[in-house]
Amino acid sequence: MKRGELLGSLEHIILLALVRQDGGAHGMIVRREIEERTGRNISIGAVYATLARLEAKGYVSSFAGEPTPQRGGRATRLFRVEAAGKRALQISEQTIRSMSAGLKDRWGTI
Amino acid sequence: MRPCSPPTFLCLLLESVLPDPYREAIIGDLIEQYTLRVESTSRFSASCWFLSQACRSVPPMVWCWLRSGNCFINISVAVGVFIFMATLKFAADLTISKLVSPDQTTDVILAPIVFLTITAIGGCVAARIRRGATLFLALMVTITVATLIELKVCSVPVPWWYQFGFLTIGPLAVMITPTLFGPLKQQGSVT
Repeated sequence: MKRGELLGSLEHIILLALVRQDGGAHGMIVRREIEERTGRNISIGAVYATLARLEAKGYVSSFAGEPTPQRGGRATRLFRVEAAGKRALQISEQTIRSMSAGLKDRWGTI
Repeated sequence: MRPCSPPTFLCLLLESVLPDPYREAIIGDLIEQYTLRVESTSRFSASCWFLSQACRSVPPMVWCWLRSGNCFINISVAVGVFIFMATLKFAADLTISKLVSPDQTTDVILAPIVFLTITAIGGCVAARIRRGATLFLALMVTITVATLIELKVCSVPVPWWYQFGFLTIGPLAVMITPTLFGPLKQQGSVT
C-alpha cells in the first residue's frame, strides 16, 4: 500500500468481513455479514466490484469453487485476504485512530 | 421439493450484461440466495429481492469493468461487428429489392425480420470474438435506431409501437441471443 493511500469505506468493511471468514468466503457471505453487522443493504454487484478492485491491488486473492445444483450449476468464487490486505487494514485503522484521537468529546457538539 | 429458479428473463439479462470475470459467481450467488429466500419467505418476495439485486448490481460491475481498461478492445470489436452488420443489411436490402417487387407493405413486414436476424447474428459474432463487446454493440444499435427514428427515415406511416419495437427488441436481440445459445454449450460441457 502506498504511503497515504487509504482504503475506501466499502473496501475497509469488505476486508474486515473477509478477515472474519477463515479460509475464504464468497460474495454473498460477505454481503450477509455486512448487512447483519452494519445494517447496510448493499448489492451483490457492489460487493464483487469492490472485491475486484481489492484483487487488482493485491489485497485479496480469489479461487474458483465447485459448481453446485443449488447455484444453478455455476461455480462459486472464494476470496481470501492476503498479507498486503492485512497490512492495508492495519495502516487504515491506525490512521483513523490517530485522526480521531481526542475528538470523542467534540462529536456531541458538531 | 420442487426446484425453484429465479425469473429466466432476469438471469438471461444478467448473463448478457455482467462482465466476464465474476459473472458466474454473481449469478450463482443470486440463485442460491433466491432459493433460500423462497423457502423462508415466498416466491413473490424472493423474486422482488432478486429483481432489486439484479438492477442494483449491474451499474457497479459495469463501471468497474469500464475502469479496468478492457473496454477499448470491446469498443473496437463492437465497431467492427457494427460495420459487418451494416454490410449484411445492405446486402439483404439489395437481395430483397431484386427478389420482391418494391412495395410499402412488403417493406413494413420484411424490415423487422431482416433487422432482428441481423442484430441476432451481430450479437452472436460479437460474443464469439469478445463477450463484453455485445454491450457496446447493443448501445450502438440503440443510438442508430433512435437517430433513424428522429430523422424520420421511414417514409411509410407506421404506428409508434412498430418503431418502439425496433428500439427495444434490437438491442435485446444483440445481448440475449448469444446467451440463449451459450447455456446449451455449457450444459453439454458440464454433463
